[in-house]
Amino acid sequence: MTTRVLGLARSNVLLMRRNLLTVVYAVVVPLLPLALLTTAPDRTGVAGAVFVTLVLLMALLFPVYYNLLSMFVTRRDELVLKRLRSGEATDAEIIVSMALPGATLVFVVAGIAVVVAGVLGFPLPTNPILLVIGLLLTCVTFAALALWTAAWTKNAEAAQLTSAPVLMLATFGVTRAAFPEGAQQWLDLLPGAALEDLVRVAWFGVEPGALGTDAVTWAATWSEALPALGYLLGWTIIGALLARRAMTWEPRG
Amino acid sequence: MQSDMDAAIDVHDLHRVYGSGNSAFEAVRGVSLRVEPGSIHSLLGVNGAGKTSLLEVIEGLARPSAGSVRVLGLDPISDRPEVRRRAGVLLQRSGFSGDLTVRETLAMWAATVTDPRPVDESLDLLDLSGRARVRMRALSGGEQRRVDLACTLTGRPEVLMLDEPTTGLDPESRHRVWELIRSLREDGVAILVTTHYLEEAEALADRISIMRAGRIVLSGTHEEIVAGQPCLISFRTPDREVPPLAATKVDRAGSRTIVEADDLQQTLTTLLAWAHQYGVRLDDLTARAASLESIFLDVAEDRVAPTDPITHPATEMAR
Repeated sequence: MTTRVLGLARSNVLLMRRNLLTVVYAVVVPLLPLALLTTAPDRTGVAGAVFVTLVLLMALLFPVYYNLLSMFVTRRDELVLKRLRSGEATDAEIIVSMALPGATLVFVVAGIAVVVAGVLGFPLPTNPILLVIGLLLTCVTFAALALWTAAWTKNAEAAQLTSAPVLMLATFGVTRAAFPEGAQQWLDLLPGAALEDLVRVAWFGVEPGALGTDAVTWAATWSEALPALGYLLGWTIIGALLARRAMTWEPRG
Repeated sequence: MQSDMDAAIDVHDLHRVYGSGNSAFEAVRGVSLRVEPGSIHSLLGVNGAGKTSLLEVIEGLARPSAGSVRVLGLDPISDRPEVRRRAGVLLQRSGFSGDLTVRETLAMWAATVTDPRPVDESLDLLDLSGRARVRMRALSGGEQRRVDLACTLTGRPEVLMLDEPTTGLDPESRHRVWELIRSLREDGVAILVTTHYLEEAEALADRISIMRAGRIVLSGTHEEIVAGQPCLISFRTPDREVPPLAATKVDRAGSRTIVEADDLQQTLTTLLAWAHQYGVRLDDLTARAASLESIFLDVAEDRVAPTDPITHPATEMAR
């Protein structure tokens, strides 16, 4: 299992490196929002959380979601996937090997974000374990959403359009502070908002919610992050079910 | 019936239906065939005869609607890991990422195989060493097909399912691939190969099955298939009445006389002796033994009865 996944993933990394556009989307786009950290009014968690969330979200949306979407559609249409499925590799191995490079980039970007944030004077993550769990869940979620999107994406060009709903769904939650207070409890359910809450609690030790400012102790981070993790898990399940129902390996006629 | 263990591929009364209800289409309609280790079984048929639909079920890429498939005595779907490890599949159409080189492509494939050949050995096997550093998108169709075949052989399979392996190859590469397939047979590999090149079936196959509209209508060795079919003599109809011949059918339609006979030499001798005796000139005389080509064309145009006792698959199963 692991040798096959790693062997295939190595080829996928090679292919990503050979395509300039993929490199830009996968590496440059997620790192750009780091520059926004310098524009934060102060170095508190309340100010930093939105920007750190944007960094992580871009890493989830481009290296994981968009990259897997276009990779899957292209290789499906080129019959590369069909060929792979005629050999020993299982469907799960093929999918994991394609999602793995992007998911690895998420953790690399997160590592860079910790360093950059630290250098700029922001606090270091309070509870890294919670952050890792949250990122793993979101990686799976966006990989699954990529496979679901691929099912109704005609070709690689069409992905620019068909990716819009998921891109919007993901980023919408981060803008929740601009909406009236009554809408907050609903907006909190969105993946972007849940990720932001997780960053607030697990990284900066601030209570969840767009308007929250109270500090959270390390011991309390577990319980305070629970709702956000629950929402993220919910999205993972939704993504997996959608992908399972809709996925096709053959080119769309 | 022989036990399942003897045959590397054993297909029994296989059906495959696409879709359901009114739009249902039965692409495979009760096919039975066996492939023994160390032998080549060629599946011939025009496009749309159901060859690929049948092969996909044997390969474990699709489920049968009815009937059974055993590969190495195992079920291609429920015993997938073991079947895939020991079998090699070449799809009729498949693809590779254009940005990988030949060597990288073979290395990628080798990474998926439990006990792979070294990449250099695979390159040698298909004469690709000189192209190892070339990107896949720069290869000709024939070269890509050879890379594809190299992947198929990476796991040193005991059973091969090759769907039109030489389509797109130039004549020289085609002959080399035939050599390779023959040498694999010497090593005891069981090979099921589809083709629409008659020449290929004649050159390679120990057994030939001819498919039409989802059924195998003829099956046997080359000799068996040809033996069951009449030979053909034709000439411009002379003025004098032709004598009775040991023919199965004499047709005087138009200006030509066409004689179908079981024994070409005997019928021809009678005819020529008669012509010699009476000084009759047989203009445009042609005589040909039944050939795979003529039979194939007959099958394609539905002129062969599928119930021929010598070659019907049911009798083959009973042997």
